[in-house]
Amino acid sequence: MSENQKILEVKDLVVEFNTDRGLITAVNGVNFEVYRGKSIGIVGESGSGKSVSALAIMGLIPNPPGRVKSGIIKYHGENLLDKSVGEMRKIRGNKIAMIFQEPMTSLNPVFNVGNQIEEVLKLHQPELSKEDRHVKGVEMLSLVGIPSPEKRYKEYPHQLSGGMRQRVMIAMALACKPDILIADEPTTALDVTIQAQILELMNKLQKDLGMGIIMITHDLGVVAETCDDVAVMYCGKIVEKSDVKSIFNNPKHPYTKGLIESIPSFDSTSGAAKGRLPTIEGMVPSLFELPEGCSFQDRCEFSTEDCRGSKGSPSLTKVNEGHKVSCFNPLQ
Amino acid sequence: MEQVEKMPNVESETQKSKSLWVHAFNQLIADPFAKFSFIIVGLYALVAILSGLEVIAGNWDMQFGDGYSAPSLKHIFGTDLFGRSVFLKTIKGTEVAMSVGLVTAVISMIIGVALGATAGYFGGKIDEVIVWFYTTVTSIPYIMLLVAITFILGKGLIAVYLALGLSSWVNLCRLIRGEVIRHKDREYVHAAASIGASEFTKLFKHIVPNVLHIVIINFSLQFQVAIKSEVILSYLGLGVQGRPSWGTMINDAKQELAQGVWWQLAAATLAMFVVVLSLNILGDALRDALDPKLKGKK
Amino acid sequence: MVPILLGTCFIIFVLFNMVAGDPTQLLLGKHATAKQMLELKRELGLDRPFFAQYLDIVKSAFTFDFGRSWSTKQEIIEMIKIGAMPSLTVSIPAFILSTIVSIAVSLIVSFFRGGKLDRIMVFACVAMMSISSLAYILFAQKFLAYELGLFEISGYEPGFPYFIPYILLPVLIWVVLNLGPDVRFYRTIILDEIYQDYVRTARAKGLSEKMILFKHVLKNAMIPIITYVVIQIPFLILGALLIESFFGIPGLGGITLNAINSSDFPVIRAMTVLSAVAYIIFSVITDVLYTLVDPRVRLK
Repeated sequence: MSENQKILEVKDLVVEFNTDRGLITAVNGVNFEVYRGKSIGIVGESGSGKSVSALAIMGLIPNPPGRVKSGIIKYHGENLLDKSVGEMRKIRGNKIAMIFQEPMTSLNPVFNVGNQIEEVLKLHQPELSKEDRHVKGVEMLSLVGIPSPEKRYKEYPHQLSGGMRQRVMIAMALACKPDILIADEPTTALDVTIQAQILELMNKLQKDLGMGIIMITHDLGVVAETCDDVAVMYCGKIVEKSDVKSIFNNPKHPYTKGLIESIPSFDSTSGAAKGRLPTIEGMVPSLFELPEGCSFQDRCEFSTEDCRGSKGSPSLTKVNEGHKVSCFNPLQ
Repeated sequence: MEQVEKMPNVESETQKSKSLWVHAFNQLIADPFAKFSFIIVGLYALVAILSGLEVIAGNWDMQFGDGYSAPSLKHIFGTDLFGRSVFLKTIKGTEVAMSVGLVTAVISMIIGVALGATAGYFGGKIDEVIVWFYTTVTSIPYIMLLVAITFILGKGLIAVYLALGLSSWVNLCRLIRGEVIRHKDREYVHAAASIGASEFTKLFKHIVPNVLHIVIINFSLQFQVAIKSEVILSYLGLGVQGRPSWGTMINDAKQELAQGVWWQLAAATLAMFVVVLSLNILGDALRDALDPKLKGKK
Repeated sequence: MVPILLGTCFIIFVLFNMVAGDPTQLLLGKHATAKQMLELKRELGLDRPFFAQYLDIVKSAFTFDFGRSWSTKQEIIEMIKIGAMPSLTVSIPAFILSTIVSIAVSLIVSFFRGGKLDRIMVFACVAMMSISSLAYILFAQKFLAYELGLFEISGYEPGFPYFIPYILLPVLIWVVLNLGPDVRFYRTIILDEIYQDYVRTARAKGLSEKMILFKHVLKNAMIPIITYVVIQIPFLILGALLIESFFGIPGLGGITLNAINSSDFPVIRAMTVLSAVAYIIFSVITDVLYTLVDPRVRLK
């Protein structure tokens, strides 16, 4: 397995939604890459476009009202956006799999766990016999750390805890050994202890299976634990991109810095020990009325005339090796 | 049906009231179908009022000529057995239909809201008794309930109002109960209690306005169901007496059709079709506008 | 269940025995003497205490001993036995066909949701619902049966297969009458499911929209659909009231209608008790059926 093999490349992705109040650009020119065996974290508040980017890769943007306006999603040299509906179905759940935030509702309540796992196998590996599917299904359950998998296999989602359900979701997603796993806030709905278990499981499986992971989250803590690279999104754009170390040690974008500072911590040098947890002032602007220039200008303590549109919108520029930021006044 | 009431309503918080109503109204006006339907219902109401005041169609029982003359320029819907204008009868029937719709819907609204809100709000034994009561009523076929009530009250318009009103409140009651149960533990109700609101104030001033959209949607539904049921009552011989109604006109067609007289059936059916369709469209538009949960599914 | 049955019997008792006026007056006409009325009252058992009369109704719910009809003097249970067959030969095929057609149509419109076909069908449903059922029957009988001769105008012959020509038009009308409201209801149920999270998961697995609709969504939608379908069954007996009377089918609907016209209280009461008992039985059946489709109920 070669290191740094690029398996997915998203280029200048633009996704629009037609709403009651007019057209919004939910994702506006996003670029990132996924490497084999590596995880990229996409971080942002709700509405920043992180989930929409993921859905675009899956070809699952609800249309109408949404549509991918332009861009390229290159997977093994082919543009996924050019694929037909049928071709995309062969890739989804097979080569690129996805798990979701709501483990409680993401499984179908009226089918048992085994049935739902076997369904993926039946679809993408039709050569398997019924017995093979069963064996493989049970294997997957034990792989994701579900105790007594044979017994759980026949159980229904409501009989499982949230953490167990998320494990089942992961088993289902990995059943066909995908190249890429997209995890959309996989731990947000879970208890903290369960959260850690699930993240640990994902790290382990990634090592075993060598897949690339796109971790979508609003929680930089999750990113710190699981990711190699990070892209921070704000209002449909990536504002900072780097490896995980540089971004935590040396954030360049004021927004990233704000996010990092607002992580609660028992570490005496920051946050809780000093009293109030710092927050980012103000609110995310509505996508209907984005300001000229930098979208973050109104919440930024460093903003200048440049940021208010006189120089256009800031673009993602390299500041260090492997570290890009989209800011007129990057932090030092 | 149970499922429907258990579904969480995404945005039914207290602050929704004003903006939602304004928003709903704007949405309603923006929908040409809904606007048109609203105008049609308004026109029918106007005709009904004018007819009630004897301004128009006061001479519906006048004999204009031969019995069963086919539609012509003089009588666009022809005449009936006694040579009366079918057009005027249809107008007079509008008065009956609209009043039946209105009064029935009001009666079922009052009973449904009162019982549903009481059951949902107070819970416990009171709830059990009310649930028991409406389940019991549901187990009796609608038609039998109608028949029994008209037996008790005798025949006539008042009996029709009461029979239809008293037999059609269960659904609303069930919905209101479910919605009130969902609302009663919300913060705004506790807030009202903390500033000393009485149980009555809490229920009727704070909770009921938040379930009002269900009442309105149900009202438009009940209105048209009542208009249709009046026809069935007429067929059973339990309808209005001594004055024309769409029900009696359609019922008369049983004999008339064999003689090739179709216009009375056509006129009453058409008159009914237009207003019931308008009420249906209006009801759907109201539901889309007032029940955000269902948005985008039309 | 038992409290419901007792309550139902109580309402029936209140409606027909306590407040529905003096039936002897209705039966004997205006010029009856007080003595005649008193005699008739004794004969009909109406002079007994209310509680005894109420108990009779409750008993009849279990024994089906409804007494005799006031107008035909027949045992009511015999009348019901004779009328049940013609009624069921219409209502059962009609009900099954109408359920299948409505579910099929609603699946199709749900599949094309938001599209032209969907919008046209939704409007057509509303339009169909806006016409009086009486008008449908009159129109079909006059034009399809009488003018075009496609169907029997009315009548009935007992025994299979002799009844078939007589039930065709009633069944067709039944299906058409129910299409509007049923499709609207089923469509709402199905669309409620289509927006659930598990459907998104199914898409992410690579399933086709067809598979999602027919496997995942339908199985979930079956839960409310079953309630809706099963709870209609008890009303089948009387649901065909209008159709039966128009097409001269000698079923329970016709019996009920005659009873209404002649103020034959025992028969009306019997039909009401019968429907209520059926309603209660079928509510239990619905609960049982739930456990077959919904694993969440099964294991509780």
